[in-house]
Amino acid sequence: MLLGYLPQFPPALTQPILFGALLAAGLLAGEAARRYASLPRITGYVLAGVALGPRVSGLLGPDALEVARVLIDLSIGLIVFELGFRFDLVWLKRNRWLFAAALAESVFCFLAIHFALLYLGFQALHAASAAAIGTATSPAVVMLVAHDQRAEGQLTERMLLFTAVNCIFAYVALMLLLPFLRIEHAVTWTLAVLHPIYLLIGSALMGFVACVVMLGLARWLGKREDRQFVLLVALVVLTVGITRALNLSVMVALVVLGMLARNLDRRHVLMPLRAGYGGQLFFVILFVLTGTSLEFGALATASLAVAGFIVARFVGKAVAIYAFSRATGLRRRGAGLLSVALLPMSGLAVVMLHDAQSLVPGLRQELAAVVLASIAILELAGPVATQFALRRAGETRPEPRDA
Amino acid sequence: MPESATDERQFRRSNDTSIGVELELQLVRARDFDLARDAADLIERLEKRPLSGAVKPEITEGMIELNTSIHDCHSTLLAELRATRDVVVEEAGMLNLYVSGGGSHPFHDWTERRITPSERFNALFERYGYLAKQFTVFGQHTHVGCRDGDEAVYLVHMLTRYVPHFIALSAASPYYQGEDTSFQSSRLTAVNAFPLAGHMPFVTDWPAFLEYYETMLNFGIVRSMKDFYWDIRPKPEYGTIEIRVFDTPLTVERAAQLAAYVQVLAAYHLAERPQAPARAVYLVNAYNRFEACRYGFNGEMVEPYAGRKKRIGDDILETIAALAPHAGRLGAAAVLAELAEVVRHGRSDADDLRAYREKTGALEDVVRDSAAQWAGRAAPGT
Repeated sequence: MLLGYLPQFPPALTQPILFGALLAAGLLAGEAARRYASLPRITGYVLAGVALGPRVSGLLGPDALEVARVLIDLSIGLIVFELGFRFDLVWLKRNRWLFAAALAESVFCFLAIHFALLYLGFQALHAASAAAIGTATSPAVVMLVAHDQRAEGQLTERMLLFTAVNCIFAYVALMLLLPFLRIEHAVTWTLAVLHPIYLLIGSALMGFVACVVMLGLARWLGKREDRQFVLLVALVVLTVGITRALNLSVMVALVVLGMLARNLDRRHVLMPLRAGYGGQLFFVILFVLTGTSLEFGALATASLAVAGFIVARFVGKAVAIYAFSRATGLRRRGAGLLSVALLPMSGLAVVMLHDAQSLVPGLRQELAAVVLASIAILELAGPVATQFALRRAGETRPEPRDA
Repeated sequence: MPESATDERQFRRSNDTSIGVELELQLVRARDFDLARDAADLIERLEKRPLSGAVKPEITEGMIELNTSIHDCHSTLLAELRATRDVVVEEAGMLNLYVSGGGSHPFHDWTERRITPSERFNALFERYGYLAKQFTVFGQHTHVGCRDGDEAVYLVHMLTRYVPHFIALSAASPYYQGEDTSFQSSRLTAVNAFPLAGHMPFVTDWPAFLEYYETMLNFGIVRSMKDFYWDIRPKPEYGTIEIRVFDTPLTVERAAQLAAYVQVLAAYHLAERPQAPARAVYLVNAYNRFEACRYGFNGEMVEPYAGRKKRIGDDILETIAALAPHAGRLGAAAVLAELAEVVRHGRSDADDLRAYREKTGALEDVVRDSAAQWAGRAAPGT
């Protein structure tokens, strides 16, 4: 056939094309958000995702998610690992109030959401599981804002520490609640009890094993940043992969890996983590794809419940942080800013919600929709809040002026 | 500030050979042992603790300055330094920070430093640009009391001869910006860049010094005596001369030893007046200073009065021997013997820092070990 070498028209939207477009769109939206609206870059990434996602243009569907699976796993893995790696037991030992404060932040936040939802007429167990999910601050958002703004200081450190604690708290609380929820739905006791135990212990064990391997190999490799970075990436991806294959929790395994890597490294064989290394690339992919999956559905139908959820969550966090701020040695004004900085919710909460729903088919759609809508709002507003708080605290570095 | 300029012309009388110390210290974060930026938070915490001295901010946010009160002898100075150190280390721990001695942070990147927000530091940054950030180096300033301005001028000229001693004894900045500089003390290079670095001019008495100062004021080159970044300068409002060439050592014990050495040297010169000020001291000064920075005890210095070369370490040992009667009088004989031992072993703080690196090859371990040493715990494995 004449001219048979020509492609069909229009050319097929292959995966590399979609993927490149995703990156470019995220990058440009992020930069535009910063330049024209003084918003954090993440908000731009997420908005790009919303625009490309099934609800608006439909360019990126669920298959796009599959393409980027390894990259998403790697970026989430690295973020959660770093969060764990910042969890310093020596510090908590010296400043005992700090751990109490972090725990109180989780507990108060959980209770506040729980009572708000009860008041709004949700059933106790369902309200409790939504509250557990709501307790977690988004590790990815706080970490990215901290990196992006090159934030350094007491507020930044506490924000990351509290995030690590409230994420673990959220997951453990949800695991403890699940058996009761499932009994309600006529699953046998043994199954209902054994499954969360498998998830918690198994994931923690996975993190422990990965840590032992990491320390052993790092010791053998020696203290060279380039080698250790590759080792870190390799082990993080491996851990994510194996954890998934075993149906365990990626978040718990990686946080445990990070924490143990920091605190079991008696011989100091690991190099400190440094930002960079294409981190920005992972962040763009992660947040654009998060944007594609945001659900605003309940906003129209249950705006009161969504508002109640968000306000109660903030109040719970703020009360605890205020109560403990003096004892932990936080600067004046720091308590309010820390409460604001901890606002973001994101993908982690979505994952927890989906997990809960898959195990408890009867988890009321209405409640799930409320949580999803709250996540969507805090995914967009959260980065703004965190960036504002860190800037106000004077811990960020001013952006170099654009040419 | 004309008022303070007038005050500065009055030399406040202070107790002969009383001593006091200012130590610039590194504040490092536990996560990666890079310089932190939490000096303000730490100082806010320290304000609630009763301290006999003071802790102040410095030009960039990873530095603090610890000031002692005035002492007549080494033992009380050391006791105060230890007590203050313990409080500072404890409070820093609450913020997940470590404190370390040493003249330079081994691997921090000066472009990452942030200027402490204050009128004075902002003005310095405005004036000196990148030099202000590169000035993130850490020195020990040692004050010794004089009865009047003439005595101060005399003592500055006399002690300048010992500048190579001071550098070699305190050298603790072999690393700079992640590199081994091959120097024992690289810190003074950062000081040299400032236009008013160097030494006091060869004036013979206090009125002559004031005349020089007046001229510089009228030229508009300086606005106060603080603007002179000399190795040794008179500090009339304290009634002291201030020696600024010491690197901050790795321990408070060494800091107190160095102060004791200065005290005994001052006592010897003021009591015996063994020599008259000589211009030759300043002819050889730059050469001697370089040798001490580069090679420490093994450098060679030109002894300006005899006009011949000597190993710096040998000159220190001979000086300590000659100081014996005055050291005994001031209760510092044992302290000077300890310093002599350091010289005989030929192991300065800079050598310790290099040994820390030997263990793993990583500079964060150097900071980890020196922070442990500063806290009064021996660095592991040495």
